[in-house]
Amino acid sequence: MTEPKLLGEVLRERGVSRRAFLMYASCMSSLMALPPSAAAAMAEGLAKARRQSVIWLSFQECTGCIESLTRSFSPSLEDLIFDFISLDYQHALQAASGEAAEDARRHAMRDNKGKYIVVVDGSVPMGDGGVYSTIAGQTNQQMLAETVADAAAVVAVGTCAAFGGLPQAQPNPTGAVPIEQLVAGKPVINIPGCPPLPQAMAGTITQILAFGKLPELDALKRPRAFFGESIHDRCYRRPFYKRGQFAKSFDDEGARKGWCLYELGCKGPVTYNSCATTKWNGGVSFPIQSGHGCIGCSEPGFWDMGGLYRPLASSARPLQRVVPIAAAAGVAVGAGTALLARKRLAGASQQGDKT
Amino acid sequence: MDLLSHPGDGTADAADTPLDGAVAAVLREVAAMLQRLARDPAFDDAIDLMSLQLDDDARARLRRRLGRGEVDATLDLGGCTRIRETAYAGAWWVWRDDADERTQFEQIVVARVPALLRTHPEDVAAAARRLAVELDAAPGRTETP
Repeated sequence: MTEPKLLGEVLRERGVSRRAFLMYASCMSSLMALPPSAAAAMAEGLAKARRQSVIWLSFQECTGCIESLTRSFSPSLEDLIFDFISLDYQHALQAASGEAAEDARRHAMRDNKGKYIVVVDGSVPMGDGGVYSTIAGQTNQQMLAETVADAAAVVAVGTCAAFGGLPQAQPNPTGAVPIEQLVAGKPVINIPGCPPLPQAMAGTITQILAFGKLPELDALKRPRAFFGESIHDRCYRRPFYKRGQFAKSFDDEGARKGWCLYELGCKGPVTYNSCATTKWNGGVSFPIQSGHGCIGCSEPGFWDMGGLYRPLASSARPLQRVVPIAAAAGVAVGAGTALLARKRLAGASQQGDKT
Repeated sequence: MDLLSHPGDGTADAADTPLDGAVAAVLREVAAMLQRLARDPAFDDAIDLMSLQLDDDARARLRRRLGRGEVDATLDLGGCTRIRETAYAGAWWVWRDDADERTQFEQIVVARVPALLRTHPEDVAAAARRLAVELDAAPGRTETP
């Protein structure tokens, strides 16, 4: 079989210059907080890579993750990510259906054995033999096992795939589990969020393609480039937190003045994601900027964190013993809260995150 | 209105612009990088302004302080990218706005020529091949009048 052309050649034939590669890589490097000098290496790596086969499996999910990726970028340079990958199987986007679709998946697995990436959104129901979600006569567990067998890596996108998400919320009627629990012997990357930031999905795949290796991950297997800091760390309202200025309701004077939303249930101090810097809809805003606290959607068990509008201080989580002090004192306790959050993450990692 | 103009754009006579800590720190870094460029013509580095917590006002003061130089280039790369030399030769302000005029990318590059302006050798080779093929295909059109 003829070796496929390099991305640099393929795209040049379509009028995409190497300068465009460098611009794309510069934007991605900036998003990932890589040193500016990394852009040139990333651009060269991308140009010398071959189109990456991607098989996207959708299990117990809402399609929000693929919507996030396909609808958030304006038609421009960022669309290049769709030229860098060959999306060989994706329920919501593919024209084929039924047996033809399953044939396409198995064909891609055969042709790219050991090289393809499996992206999964949605959790896998394990209750009652997995009957709560089946595709083409296979349970989700069976399809996952068959598809990842010859994969190079698995990327779990969205909190459902990464940590169980909403399907796993109490009382977890389908026995939902995250992807990592079912994949052995393959590298797994978690890109949580409900939905995840499109830049985190595109950036992670770009980094794998350009540098031929997995990005640096945190204890929960999230790329540090996008999940290295808490929402609170980079929140523009943090000065109000430090001064102990908190909105008490969504329409009080503090809310109108843009004070900290901590007492209205903001989970920013314990949530690791880059919404506060990357923002949504092309950088327009993010929930806190729009007046609503962070709901912690990129953290394990966020739906069972004691209520979206209950402050961390009164949540059912272990944080309750310490955080009231933070709310009262305001000044200087931000670091303590962050430390506690980090400890919690480390603890979750050690326990295989059963939360 | 120039869609690619930035608040605070101005000429290089802004030495009186008041500087706070963040702006002053960036300027000192630019000065150090320019000294390295003066010693090593191959030096090429950048400060990513998107990663700094500079508010719009600080950004405008920084831009005013650095002023404008002789070169102002526009790149049409699936959107508009602008490369503008500052009043300090070798220091360039590079930014990219999306269709809604939101800045997606913003750097101060210190180099003789920013990498984004240079043509990649493989693009040059491809261009040479393409032009040769086109000329061979239509030889009558290439004769000098």
